Amino acid sequence: MRHVPTLMRRELAAYFLSPMAFLILLAFQLIAWFNFWELLDGLIQSQHNLSSRRDPLNTYISQSIPFWVGLLVAIPALTMRLLAEEKRSGTIETLLTAPVTESEIVVSKWLAGVVMFWVILLPFAVYLPFLYYQAKFYFDPGPLVALAIGLTSLGMMFVSIGLFFSALTRNQIIAAIWTFAILFLVVFLTLLLYFYVGSRRGEWAEGVRYFAVLLQLESFGLGRLDLRYIALHLSVSLFMLYLTVKALQSRRLG
Amino acid sequence: MIQVDRLTKHYGSYKAVDGITFSIGRGEIVGLLGPNGAGKTTTMRMLTTYLSPTSGRASLAGMDVIDSPLEVRRKVGYLPENVPLYLEMRVREYLTFRARLTDVPRSKRRSSINHVIARCRLEDVENRILGQLSRGFRQRVGLAAAMVHDPDILILDEPTSGLDPIQIREVRALIRELGDRHTVLLSTHILSEVEAVCGRAIIIAQGHLAVDEPLDRLQSESLIILQARGPADAIKRALESLPGVERARSTTQDDQLSTFEIKTTEGADLREELAGRVCQNGWALRQLEIRRSTLEDRFIQAVTQETMKAQSELEAV
Repeated sequence: MRHVPTLMRRELAAYFLSPMAFLILLAFQLIAWFNFWELLDGLIQSQHNLSSRRDPLNTYISQSIPFWVGLLVAIPALTMRLLAEEKRSGTIETLLTAPVTESEIVVSKWLAGVVMFWVILLPFAVYLPFLYYQAKFYFDPGPLVALAIGLTSLGMMFVSIGLFFSALTRNQIIAAIWTFAILFLVVFLTLLLYFYVGSRRGEWAEGVRYFAVLLQLESFGLGRLDLRYIALHLSVSLFMLYLTVKALQSRRLG
Repeated sequence: MIQVDRLTKHYGSYKAVDGITFSIGRGEIVGLLGPNGAGKTTTMRMLTTYLSPTSGRASLAGMDVIDSPLEVRRKVGYLPENVPLYLEMRVREYLTFRARLTDVPRSKRRSSINHVIARCRLEDVENRILGQLSRGFRQRVGLAAAMVHDPDILILDEPTSGLDPIQIREVRALIRELGDRHTVLLSTHILSEVEAVCGRAIIIAQGHLAVDEPLDRLQSESLIILQARGPADAIKRALESLPGVERARSTTQDDQLSTFEIKTTEGADLREELAGRVCQNGWALRQLEIRRSTLEDRFIQAVTQETMKAQSELEAV
């Protein structure tokens, strides 16, 4: 794994040398600005009726619709080129004839994707110090840390799914569409399933709830650091990375 | 340096490379020739461990391509067809990236990058972005990247395709220079390239090895064409009885005129002796000439033979 820093550095440099990363950052900056405005609005009003107010951190990030729509578009856009572009341009041949293993390549691309995932979330962090120091709203940083950890492990899972589809094709658009479709199913179908099961068969609801990504993140946003969710995200990531390595190795059989 | 033993690659039921065997010694420059789709790139991809063979073995610098692929890759520099590069990187940056990937020790990195930049004459463009360079420069960057870790063996897939004549000359000169320190295997379908650069030619056609001979022997082969008036069988017997004649093949027969292609041992020029023999017997000599075979003749001969063989196999099925 000693080649990972070298490969990762090239990958991150490639992100910032194309307009894609900046476009996504701009979109997330807009979403963050809009959500922050909404959050402030909520915080001012809620002085009167605390009981009916939504949880502020979940309003700001984890339960906001623009955030999820942005995420579902941004992840495929970030991961689609990782391997598909190397296959299209043929540079994968120069990589896999250097003394570098498939696992090193896959892990470094995945880590680069996870770092980019953090970078596109940075706009949300930008506004919080203002709330704390300027507006003297002394919120509890605990739930924020829990949400950051939860988002990271979720991002690891999403990026590994995107990386896998990028390994299957040399066409970035096809990789992006597959990734979007699967992430969409993971996010919304699990939620619908939870509502459906919850109304018909109460005893199953608990189990299905565990898989609903939106509810997982809500729980992190409330400050519960549930290790079961993290274990689920990491095991899916590992499995997808394993499949990606196998997909790369399958080229040798022609 | 390179040992290939019955190397075979199937894509489904299609045999891209079918049981080729050859070996290349240290310091040789060998041209791998063949028409498009003959299996050149597949062979090179197997040697560089990008693809694994369906059957057969290959070892480079003593390392087996299946058992120890990473060690093979350390010994081999590879320039793939069409020179894929990361077009957003700068020349020196890319070479540094390759040096890190190929485990050039940190202390030697700067000097070996400077060395390949000088060797491939890239000093003027070392800080330019690869995407903005011309095809000829990209080819040289690809070569520099292939040799940055000072490999024993260089495998170059069509190193001059898509270049203009002046660039072709430059790249060829560079490859000739490389031959004194590295073993070079290059593929091409341009015959003059092999004549200009290589010491030996391996021709593959339809996935089979058709010719594997040193270039001077390939070019030294000659054929004497003789046309005389007289009974074909008698002339043939008379010609073949001459010492030094391997065989005489009758090509055309027209009334009393018959033409022969005569192959002599080691391509000896026996024109005078042959003329004497024909005149002795009282036959009229109409034509007598010697034809030195060129690489092109051998190439076309080998390729047509393999194509015909493949067709007859198809018909048999």
